[in-house]
Amino acid sequence: MTELAALIPEFLVLAGALAALFAGADERRLGPWLGAGCALAAAVAVALIGPSGELFGGVMELDAVAVFGRASIASLTALWLLWVAGRGLGADRSREAAAFALLSSLGGMLMVSAQDIIVLFISLELSTMPAYVLMGYRRTDARGLEGALKYFLLSMLTSLVMLYGLSFVYGVAGSTSYAALSSAPPGALLQVSVVLVLVGMFAKLSATPFHYWTPDAYEGAQAPSVAYVSTVPKLAGTIALAQLLGALPASPDTATVVVAAAVLSMLVGNLAAFPQSDLRRLMAYSGVAHTGYLLLALSSGASGGTAAVFYALAYAVPSMAIMLLGAEEGVALDDLAGLAARRPALAWASLVWLLSLVGIPPMAGFFGKLYLFTSAVSGGQLWPVLVAIAMSVVSAGYYFRVVRRVFFGERSDAPVPPRNVPAAATFAIATLIVLALGLFASPLLGLLELRFRDVAVALAPLFG
Amino acid sequence: MQFPLLTLIVFLPLLGAVAVALLGDKRASAVRMTAMVVAVVDLALVALLVAGFDTSAGMQFAEKVPWVPQVGITYHLSVDGMSLSMLLLSALLTVLAIVASWRTEKKPALWFSMLLLLEVGMNGVFVAMDFVLFYVFWELVLVPMYFLIGTWGGPRREYAAIKFFLYTLLGSVFMLVGIIALYLQTGTFDMLVMAEAGGLPANFQWWVFAAFFLGFAVKVPVFPLHTWLPDAHVEAPTAASVLLAGILLKMGSYGFLRISLPILPDAAREWSGFIAALAAVSIVYGAALAFAQTDMKKLVAYSSVSHMGFVMLGIASLTPAGLNGAVAVMFSHGVVTGMLFFLVGMVYERTHTRTISEVSGLSSKVPVAAGLLAFASFASLGLPGLSGFVGEFLSLLGAWSSHLWPGWVIISAAGVLLAAAYMLWLVQRVVLGTPSEAVAPIGDLTRTEVAVLMPLVALTLIVGVYWDSLLRFTDGPVQTILALMGGI
Repeated sequence: MTELAALIPEFLVLAGALAALFAGADERRLGPWLGAGCALAAAVAVALIGPSGELFGGVMELDAVAVFGRASIASLTALWLLWVAGRGLGADRSREAAAFALLSSLGGMLMVSAQDIIVLFISLELSTMPAYVLMGYRRTDARGLEGALKYFLLSMLTSLVMLYGLSFVYGVAGSTSYAALSSAPPGALLQVSVVLVLVGMFAKLSATPFHYWTPDAYEGAQAPSVAYVSTVPKLAGTIALAQLLGALPASPDTATVVVAAAVLSMLVGNLAAFPQSDLRRLMAYSGVAHTGYLLLALSSGASGGTAAVFYALAYAVPSMAIMLLGAEEGVALDDLAGLAARRPALAWASLVWLLSLVGIPPMAGFFGKLYLFTSAVSGGQLWPVLVAIAMSVVSAGYYFRVVRRVFFGERSDAPVPPRNVPAAATFAIATLIVLALGLFASPLLGLLELRFRDVAVALAPLFG
Repeated sequence: MQFPLLTLIVFLPLLGAVAVALLGDKRASAVRMTAMVVAVVDLALVALLVAGFDTSAGMQFAEKVPWVPQVGITYHLSVDGMSLSMLLLSALLTVLAIVASWRTEKKPALWFSMLLLLEVGMNGVFVAMDFVLFYVFWELVLVPMYFLIGTWGGPRREYAAIKFFLYTLLGSVFMLVGIIALYLQTGTFDMLVMAEAGGLPANFQWWVFAAFFLGFAVKVPVFPLHTWLPDAHVEAPTAASVLLAGILLKMGSYGFLRISLPILPDAAREWSGFIAALAAVSIVYGAALAFAQTDMKKLVAYSSVSHMGFVMLGIASLTPAGLNGAVAVMFSHGVVTGMLFFLVGMVYERTHTRTISEVSGLSSKVPVAAGLLAFASFASLGLPGLSGFVGEFLSLLGAWSSHLWPGWVIISAAGVLLAAAYMLWLVQRVVLGTPSEAVAPIGDLTRTEVAVLMPLVALTLIVGVYWDSLLRFTDGPVQTILALMGGI
């Protein structure tokens, strides 16, 4: 019973999903409101309960990273639902969307605390399944269905590859628990099966070369769905991958695979984002690029893991906000023209988000990149970091295509949506988080038990 | 705990920027007054700092609080004579820029809030002694400048704004790599601690110096990384040009003096020959291009490339005279080029052209403007008795007596002649002669415009005649830097 108590936040999210689903008439958007409340309560509960040791015979463990991950997943979901409660999903009903998002977040919360490959796989599926539906939410829209189908098929395929790999991992380690993995006898079979598992994770995180579904799926979907699917599952996946890689026996080959995917993702994502004229496609490629940065951190050991977790949050918040902005103003880049004249506060908020994604201080993205690059360099990945740094300059190029339209563009026919308090609050909260994560990162890093210095000093001779 | 004067100086303009933005375009006069009051109070605070400054001591007014203790980032502000001279310039030019652009009609709230936000970054860079904090201010400057050029600039403003942004960002991300490498090596982000500790391996120093070099050289700018500068200057509105040339370029050379030399002394010695060569090329190349310009503003922009070459030459000399000369050129160039950009802007507002061949005979139509333009030109070409001479003379002197190849010094000295030639030729064409069609109907400078220029004229004269007024502040830090380098 006490072990179940540690999962109160998860039960709250599940209760929120069920409540949202049966919340009755959609006019007052009771579903998203209930869901947002439950998700927020779950986030608070995570913080109150805090870390606890192993659960259920070691299949889960609520360590500091898991606590951080569950709290951020729940909070981000609450933030998204707050916007949905304010604006709704156009002609579509919002209550099922709220339920699906909550179920996906439930999967994410379980995934970040998984210490067992079966729990990992099941929660990964729980986190992605609802995402397929969200991507193809408008069932009469052929393009949306095409995108969702692509997403579904590729995701299923890579899930199976991952499952195949996990079966070998079990064969080699003789147990499904992470703890047994670290002592598994190294060898070619383990290496191959780890790569198969990584394929599954890479596809979920849309890392190159498994990113092809992303732009098409996002372009076919509604902007609010993209806002959710491109952020929360990625945050969860990053943390889960950090946990998994932390459990695997240290292997230079695994690191090489991760670094290769990281460099490819950074190159492909940033370069392909440049010519896009649809905000969803642009953010899809930008997401691929940011996955590259995350993988770079993950390739460099324990301190890299915490840096990646921090960066994942620093990526997720502004990306979600930008897609929600696209949901309000239109998803073509030209729709954003003249936003500064129509809605100045929102325009300045969007500047904060975009600068954070570029990595300009004092926004969260800068500190995320600082920690990330620091741990990657100290992990000996100097050249990939140089690529990452050059690519962040390229990213400034395409993010500033958005900035240019927002501030210097002109558009006369744009409808100004009616004032909406929950939606405005969503944007305000997102902006505050982006600034606070940067300026007051200290408590958060303390929570993550981040200690670069120890790692740094230990690795300093590398640079002699 | 003492009164946090530096924090106030750095962040007061931020409060002003927010207040101005909240007031909005509809209350334009309140916006102007607020911006003005904030900038003047900030300048007064800097004056207070100067008054309380002890030139015989090193770093003063230090404020040090942990910021992100997990990673060893501190909020560390401090000021020495070199920082102080730049801080004074930054606060003064901001006030003058606000006065000079008093009548901005397009989005006044945004304009003044961006000017104040720019001041936050400029002030911060010169007093931040923690690398992360330094980088925060360094990058903070980009955003307001992007908007100043992109919103109020000339016809190709958006191109110039993004070119400026990306170019400088490219340089600064390499600097970030250098910062990370230094941190991993030393375990601290504190510049002063790092400089004191010293003892970094030579090979490591070489690479980190290269990373910082890219970051700083783009900003200075050193040939061949200068190509963003003419675009940015030509498109930028007058006040932004003044701050760009007056302060932003100095951030690069300040970086060399504050970071590259004391923290990476061995690499600095190794690189000094290369830097001297680039400096000499910048001096002559900038001057030659200035010669060829038909646009007054472009001429001043290329002359900046040339003058900043003297800063780099002085730095490369690694001698007390050279380093003092470098700081003196930085200060003087800020004052004199500020004056030139203001004057070109004032002439442009009246004649609506900056083409040299269309503007002539200013002296007979607008004697005050013409006289000040001639004065600024003389100061720019380094006439003894005016501020421009001090730094260039000391830089050349330091470089000549140093380990550098004398050829570079001779080439650089030829740059002084070229500067005299192109500036005098400009004066001959624009100030003298008979009034051209564009000049015929215009009126002379207003009292406000003269008031904007007078402080700069005064500084030019004071520093030019009484060198010690500036050098007493710079000599201490210069000696400290050279002592940290192990003395040469």
